[in-house]
Amino acid sequence: MTKETNATYITATAEMLGLEIAANHRAGVEQFFALAKDMAASLEKASLPANDADLAPILCLPVTPDSGETA
Amino acid sequence: MTVFDPFLPAVEIARRVRDGDIFAGVVAEEYLSRITAINPRINAYTDVVADRAISHAVQVDRDRADGKPLPPLAGVPYAAKNLYDIAGRTTRAGSKINRENPPAKRDADLIERMDAAGAVCLGALNMGEFAYDFTGENVHDGACRNPHDTTRMTGGSSSGSGAATAAGLAPISLGSDTNGSLRVPASLCGVYSLKPTYGRLSRGGSFPFVDSLDHVGPLARTVEDLALAFDCLQGPSTRDHACRATHVQPTFDSLNSGISGFRIGVPRGWFDAQCTDDALSRRAQVIQALSESCTTEDITLDEAEIGRAAAYLITNSESATFHLPNLRTRADDFDPDTRDRFLAGALLPAAWIQKAQRVRHWWLHHALKAFETCDVLVVPATPCTAPLIGQKTLEVAGTERLLRPVLGLLAQPFSAIGLPVVTVPVFADDDLPLGMQIVAAPWCEEKALRVARFLEQAGVAAARSPRSSTTA
Repeated sequence: MTKETNATYITATAEMLGLEIAANHRAGVEQFFALAKDMAASLEKASLPANDADLAPILCLPVTPDSGETA
Repeated sequence: MTVFDPFLPAVEIARRVRDGDIFAGVVAEEYLSRITAINPRINAYTDVVADRAISHAVQVDRDRADGKPLPPLAGVPYAAKNLYDIAGRTTRAGSKINRENPPAKRDADLIERMDAAGAVCLGALNMGEFAYDFTGENVHDGACRNPHDTTRMTGGSSSGSGAATAAGLAPISLGSDTNGSLRVPASLCGVYSLKPTYGRLSRGGSFPFVDSLDHVGPLARTVEDLALAFDCLQGPSTRDHACRATHVQPTFDSLNSGISGFRIGVPRGWFDAQCTDDALSRRAQVIQALSESCTTEDITLDEAEIGRAAAYLITNSESATFHLPNLRTRADDFDPDTRDRFLAGALLPAAWIQKAQRVRHWWLHHALKAFETCDVLVVPATPCTAPLIGQKTLEVAGTERLLRPVLGLLAQPFSAIGLPVVTVPVFADDDLPLGMQIVAAPWCEEKALRVARFLEQAGVAAARSPRSSTTA
């Protein structure tokens, strides 16, 4: 993505979220979005296994089976 | 008449109170006077609860006079980052927005635990807005200033906690750590901190930043104080869904058990590349001292770079979503330094966040492998000593980089996967402090504390009193 693509994405996504990006906030938002994009690119360096069920975000129920508690 | 030493360790204050050598009420008065005199130069406290402090201290003295057994921290003053609920006070979390909230009806869990241990709450401490900060700067409350040099940053976001503890304005303080917010101020202010295992200490009654990454913990000027506070803070809670503690695992009594046979891992590679020569030199001092009692080994753990990227994205997205209603309606009421990051974080593609969550698990697997051959890892807590307040960039390895994200990049990888970390202060001659992280496997806080105690006794780690006139 180029800087222009970032700007277009920011405008469109902010509108979908009902989030107004004021003109004086725009430069900072673009700077931090670009930083996040760099971080996302770093994630691609991780060689995640093809069968990566272990890596999925997990829902942990607060009640354990042996606690005798019910929701 | 004996002049009260504000840098006395907490265990010594508690002993003197217990032995009747000093009244808890006198200790509280001394600290309150000191806060009045020194805080305007440090800006560590945002709220002082003098009436509550005196009332509690007097009760401690009354209990002693009545022959009741005193708890371990009886009469020891402490203060807490202003994201902990203190009954009757509004929990600000460093923000303008939260000042409109009603006062807390109940103390946070950790405040209740400190009070139950006899400690005396003095007040609430400055912090970066909504804990999204590594510098100690805050547009609403003003920058917190480093007691060792008031032109310099304290680090954040537990800025007031680091500064108050270093300046002798509280022997123990409470902070929080999502990406490094205990460890960065501990490093720059030259005190000890403990970021426990994720789920060890209850966050009940503390204002959240990133639920899946938030930790709470103590700062202190000695390892004994740190361990004693940690022991008093432990226990189960129904107010924090992430709290996994079912019982207290004491650490204080085994602090002096030594570290003979411990295997120390020294991650190089990516970690070295993020450090100034000064940070690497201080790490070498620590490793040299440890090598006299245990084996040390250079290791490679470069997956940390990717783990840190995952932490950044999860933090950015999760926190922004939490604040989205206020970002929509009153973005100008945020500190500009946090606002633009929150706004950007609200816009991140879901695919990035899902990938970051998977990478987080992947990074945990890699980090845990390191503990198959090492008991603890030693890593600088910050790349450098305290930068000047207002500084925006930092040169590391010949490259000019944005200061705010760089200050915490050595701490972020470990909180993202919930590992316990003790930070120990290392001073160079005539220079500012820089902390070293002692990182342990999950639930092994005791090992990290024993290593910290060893370094303290070896004279390598110490929380020196500031020599600046600001704390005289």
